Amino acid sequence: MDLRVQLAPKNRLGLTLGNPVMVASGTFGYGMEYAGVIDVQRLGAIVCKGTTLKPRPGNAEPRVAETASGMLNAIGLENPGVDALIRDIAPVWAEWRVPVIVNIAGESIDEYREVASRLDGVDGISGIEVNISCPNIEKGSVEFGTSPDLAAEVTEAVRNASSLPLMVKLTPNVTDIGVVAKAVVRAGADALTVCNTLRGMAVDIVRRRPVLGNICGGLSGPAIKPVALYLVYAVSKAVDVPIVGCGGISSATDAIEFIMAGASAVQVGTATFLDPRACLNILVGIEDFMARENILTLSEIVGQARA
Amino acid sequence: MFLLKCQVLSNEQLLPRTYLMWLEAPQVASSVRPGQFAMLRCHDDLVRVLRRPLSIHAVDGDRVAFLYRAIGAGTRWLANRRRGDEIDMLGPLGNGFSITGRSRRLLLLAGGIGLAPLKFLAESAASQGHQVVLLVGTRNTAEQYPIDLLPSHGHVVKITEDGSAGKKGLVTDFISEFAPEVDQAFACGPEGMYRELMRVRGSMQSVPVQVSLEVRMGCGIGACLSCTIRTNSGLKHVCKDGPVFDLDDIDWGAAPVCRI
Repeated sequence: MDLRVQLAPKNRLGLTLGNPVMVASGTFGYGMEYAGVIDVQRLGAIVCKGTTLKPRPGNAEPRVAETASGMLNAIGLENPGVDALIRDIAPVWAEWRVPVIVNIAGESIDEYREVASRLDGVDGISGIEVNISCPNIEKGSVEFGTSPDLAAEVTEAVRNASSLPLMVKLTPNVTDIGVVAKAVVRAGADALTVCNTLRGMAVDIVRRRPVLGNICGGLSGPAIKPVALYLVYAVSKAVDVPIVGCGGISSATDAIEFIMAGASAVQVGTATFLDPRACLNILVGIEDFMARENILTLSEIVGQARA
Repeated sequence: MFLLKCQVLSNEQLLPRTYLMWLEAPQVASSVRPGQFAMLRCHDDLVRVLRRPLSIHAVDGDRVAFLYRAIGAGTRWLANRRRGDEIDMLGPLGNGFSITGRSRRLLLLAGGIGLAPLKFLAESAASQGHQVVLLVGTRNTAEQYPIDLLPSHGHVVKITEDGSAGKKGLVTDFISEFAPEVDQAFACGPEGMYRELMRVRGSMQSVPVQVSLEVRMGCGIGACLSCTIRTNSGLKHVCKDGPVFDLDDIDWGAAPVCRI
């Protein structure tokens, strides 16, 4: 049975995953945090916390709020900055079998370019995921993702600054995701992650104030799965690069739905908080499904649900 | 740190809205330190996507206990578990309290449900030969923890806000009476209690004070960065660097620190 996935077929370095189950940025730290709980080396890939040029302290608390079948987060890209990541964290990854993809974010195109250029050639880093879709920082990020032109400009800047395989993580908070997808693929994206969180909020009726310190946040978890699933379907009809499905995936059935809708791989995020075993259970569940259905290679079922 | 399915041995209402639950968890029982916590899954479907962080309240052989207040949908679900049910636990987590080598006399300050981690600390410290004074503060006598379940060693002082049992007032009102006699103090309670401790810090001389913080958490192991606080030594994560911090190390600032 062949579960391997190539996420960057046109990139000189390529990005081959042993299996399609990745963990989503922001939900898995830098990989070490969960290494004492599950065997992280069995994952298809790890996408680390969003990384910026300078350290960021993140947003005011509270930063998370549970909602029906989901959660809002507004962490605000707290991270130690790209130099600390390269100095302190990448050397650990270099010893790992599992590929690690660094999620990057910025407030300007120059910042994206600079972060990408510093990551180029660093041992232990297998790819870059460009976050043009974080709803939780004041300047930048989500703005880039909502404009096809700016999204393409960011992608091109990162493309020119690094030879690493390049994934771009799209926002669902747009009218036509296909237009943005086409623009970033034209600008050099090797793969697309579909999608980031949906913008939302919660109100504390006793305090009569928003629950989150940041007022609004990003909704994730099972509540958004049907939305993300449709966006994967829509994007896979618009472009011809590998798609990584992300949004509320909690079971092998969810993952297979995304794959049949057009995703070559999936990212598990919020489900990890509930059950740190979720990602590996999903992997086993996909293998069981393939065995049961006589599927020899995973790529056979990618996009099968498309008419 | 273990990820386990644990059998519920008992789960009874002890006080208004407050439950005591014993779980069979040998690995956790043999490795947990006072002040550490566990993340408990509080349902068996996908409606609630976050675990709930609860302090370890007591350890007895292979068993661990949680003292918790049923205030939301998650803890109410927990309150409905019966003997024989399974609970999914991730733990023990966090740093726990630390008694420094020279400390002999310890003062423990419990505000309301803040007794949860302090009973474990009191019992553990007393068994190691420390002298323990435990101040147990509640609103009224109905909320006072049953005396027969309180640590049998050491000195327990009951305090109620309305004076219906023991001394009348807040735990922090009695600091100046007890603090001069101790080497170290440990507190768990609402944020207002910690701010009051900061206000009366002068009357405690240089007694080091450790406090256990309660904030919203996502993962419990330092991955999601939901529970960040500001300290004099930079940003810290309550789940991984805490939940126990030096009172003086926390940047209390103007904004609330414990938002749950």
